[in-house]
Amino acid sequence: MKFREIVESPCGIRYLFDELGLQSGYARKVLLDREMMIDSDQIDAAYARLRTYFNLVVSDRRRAEDMRFRLQGLRDISGTLSALAEGATLDEIEFFEIKHMAMLAEKLSDATYLDSVIGILDPDGLKIGTFYLYDSYSVELRRLRAAVEIDPDDAQTQELLVNEEDRLKKVISDKLRPYARQLSETLREMAELDISLALAVQMHAEGLEIPSSGTETKISGMFHPGVRAVLRTKGREFQAIDFAFKRGEPATVIGANMGGKTVALKTLCMLQYLYQFGFGLPVASAVMTPFDDIRFCIGDEQDEKTGLSSFAAEMQRIDRAVAAVERGGSVLLLVDEPARTTNPVEGTALVSALLELLADKPNLALVMTTHYTVEHAGRCWRVQGLLPGSKGRTMDYRLVPTTSHEVPHEALNIARELGIDPRWIELADTIMKRQYE
Amino acid sequence: MPFVGEILKYRSVSIVGLSKNAGKTECLNYIIRRLPLDYFNVAVTSIGIDGETTDQVTGTAKPEITVREGMFFATSEKHFRQKRPLSELYAVSDEDTALGRVVTAKALQEGKVLLSGPSSAAALKRWMRSLKDFGIDLILIDGALSRLSTASPAVSEAMVLSTGAAYSANIRELVGKTAYVVELIRLPQYAGPEPGLRVSSFSSLDAGTLKAHPVIEVEGALTDRLLQMVRQGSGEEEVELVVGDFTKVFCSQELYRAFIRRGGRISVRMKSELLAVCVNPKAPNGIVLDSDILCRELSQRIGLPVYDIVKNEYEI
Repeated sequence: MKFREIVESPCGIRYLFDELGLQSGYARKVLLDREMMIDSDQIDAAYARLRTYFNLVVSDRRRAEDMRFRLQGLRDISGTLSALAEGATLDEIEFFEIKHMAMLAEKLSDATYLDSVIGILDPDGLKIGTFYLYDSYSVELRRLRAAVEIDPDDAQTQELLVNEEDRLKKVISDKLRPYARQLSETLREMAELDISLALAVQMHAEGLEIPSSGTETKISGMFHPGVRAVLRTKGREFQAIDFAFKRGEPATVIGANMGGKTVALKTLCMLQYLYQFGFGLPVASAVMTPFDDIRFCIGDEQDEKTGLSSFAAEMQRIDRAVAAVERGGSVLLLVDEPARTTNPVEGTALVSALLELLADKPNLALVMTTHYTVEHAGRCWRVQGLLPGSKGRTMDYRLVPTTSHEVPHEALNIARELGIDPRWIELADTIMKRQYE
Repeated sequence: MPFVGEILKYRSVSIVGLSKNAGKTECLNYIIRRLPLDYFNVAVTSIGIDGETTDQVTGTAKPEITVREGMFFATSEKHFRQKRPLSELYAVSDEDTALGRVVTAKALQEGKVLLSGPSSAAALKRWMRSLKDFGIDLILIDGALSRLSTASPAVSEAMVLSTGAAYSANIRELVGKTAYVVELIRLPQYAGPEPGLRVSSFSSLDAGTLKAHPVIEVEGALTDRLLQMVRQGSGEEEVELVVGDFTKVFCSQELYRAFIRRGGRISVRMKSELLAVCVNPKAPNGIVLDSDILCRELSQRIGLPVYDIVKNEYEI
């Protein structure tokens, strides 16, 4: 799974990608093509690297910004370098590209071979980033150029000059060729450096943290950066949430409407992606565990575009996820209110059956939000809900473990808080009491 | 050496032809030959490839610019590889055009280049900003055929206009059409209070709204449709339209005149500096107009000096 494939995920990871201050288009391309990591050692190594850059950003912001400024000059010359490796003779524009990149890399990396590359492209030792076929490449070149300057219309000398220039391009290309592979590696490293610095700066700006890896997921103080940004424009703050889940133990999240269940699920999904792509996490602290496969089942506008009803799209999406679980490999499955668009009788049956089907799957971690009361052996969390506050009742978005799987009946209270016509709400209250008595 | 001294007062000047073969390339070469490069760093580029492809269609000579030693120029990779004097490469852009990326180089000797620079006004502005490290004092822009957008004051500070027999083979008509463009270029800067109404070419306006707003800000293009609507809706009331700059005015001369005659006014947010008008009395189809009469008539009409730089090889 490449980053490119999840950047538009409905979890909202796009926000952090958009806010990421990459300096070069090449780094952006490299990041989008990055494969998701599934091995915790690999992830930990990536985070160790990110931590050094984060420390640099914190301790020496000027140096970090200086490096980032230089990285603006990074260009994708991978095509030129492949051509060189394959035996092509390069021209002035390509020599310029290589010289430009080598001089940039020399300032940012400690690769020693770069001196030799720059030496080939800077025969006069001028130490400036420009390039042309310098007179000093050959005595013949100098002689012919002088001759052409005296008599520009001498076609024979002109031709000799072109031949000599072509010969020199081949000589220079041959000299550079042994370094082609190393240059490709260095180019890649420069892009990685750009990405790491951008991630470190973003961690600093957004207050993101580096998680540790473990066998169970334990998150404290998570927030959704995109939603937080929207709330802040309205003068409000995102209430941080704690959560935990593990493989083999399905978890359901129940709670009031407008209690932030979907946002919590989106945040969990985003955290998982961020972790497996080595980004800083919007948490106070977290222990994360990698999964081979991450599945996020949430209705979105894509369903309408494909012409499926939201119920059909949702059922198919969950069905595919269940098949993935059956195939083996570790799966994180996040499902937002399955069967919510159908009637509560069948809906409850579908959700109960799904939970039963997916119980005892040691390779699966399941987190599901629901409005239905369903008994299951796993863990159940509920949104704290409406709490009495100084200015009337306010929503407490925190998730707390609960032993009762009975969904809280707060819809009417919330409707009252919203100022909905009381005749309607009180009548509903009466009908409900009549039904349950 | 007419008007070259004026050019040196600006950091960016675009040279715009009112039609193909209006003498724009001669005009640019004329300016380049006379620039005091000893103490002045100059960069030259063109926008897009319009002129280039048209040339391939009509079979007339490609617009070649002679750059002098020490001058910077920007052109596409393709044209850089095709033809140039010995040049030192300074930059290769990140942006692709139809002819490859834009290469910025410094000529180490005099020679001809094919100019095909950034492909849009926005890309051109980015290129202009990227030159700041090279100590450039003046940027000359070869504006593409009938694309006045390069001459927008949002892109270049000042402009030189070239017109000629290729635009119209009848002196009276040529003077009239050129004078209209010159009039637009010299539209006054808006100085009043913030207009209470903002419209775009898609807006529909009723007479009531128009009567309540004597000053209207036009976002984007001022089209015939919009001008017609304002003209009809405002009745006998005087109305002033404020546009971004003259390149946003896309209405026909007839409608524009009718609007002005009725007491309407058009002003701009950003005013352009027109430095000179050059004429080419020769058209590619062989028609040659009387250079002296053309210069005199046009000059009288627009109240600016007009030069035939080919006929009068002004001293260097």
